[in-house]
Amino acid sequence: MPILRPEEETKVREWFAGLARPVELYVALGPEETPRAGSGDLDFGAEMVRLCEGLAGLGDRVTCRVEEDPEGFSRFPAVSIRPDGHDAGVRYDGLPWGYELGSLVGGIVEAGRQEPTLSTDSLAALEELDRQLTLDVFVTPT
Amino acid sequence: MLLAFRFALASERVTAAAIEANEFPQLSQELGVWAVPRIVVDGEPRWDGAVPEAEFLRRVLAA
Repeated sequence: MPILRPEEETKVREWFAGLARPVELYVALGPEETPRAGSGDLDFGAEMVRLCEGLAGLGDRVTCRVEEDPEGFSRFPAVSIRPDGHDAGVRYDGLPWGYELGSLVGGIVEAGRQEPTLSTDSLAALEELDRQLTLDVFVTPT
Repeated sequence: MLLAFRFALASERVTAAAIEANEFPQLSQELGVWAVPRIVVDGEPRWDGAVPEAEFLRRVLAA
């Protein structure tokens, strides 16, 4: 089953063709929590690999790398979105189902930009930040 | 979600993770995730729902 509808795939190909720098999808596989009710026999890790390899197939500047139980990951499956192969602290934990696939695609597009797209106020505030900041955003597929 | 990613991409001091709530029910329960998006800053639940960039920045820095 394709990961995107034809019209969506065309759009994503266009976006990926415009990436200013390469983006690596670093897929981390490992022990998963008990599958949610209704998920049947779905192999979340295998599905994550299929999804990320599928996205990597839509643009020359997007690549996919899969690692088993790598250091630095506590939830599986996960994908780290890495501009120039560098861990920039951008991650998606769990399978980006349905609508959330857009967040992963959007993350790739953002990581592929050469310059940040935030406002000057935000950039100035981040420049003055004197501590580590961890942002977790809980999402669902619908 | 993208706003958090953009913050992380703009600063080496910031990390951002999207977490699929249904796949990590224990963590979601611990953090009282009943509505999404739920934004958690430095491990502490802060607010639910999407907000504009300026408001996002204000809330994150106030956390």
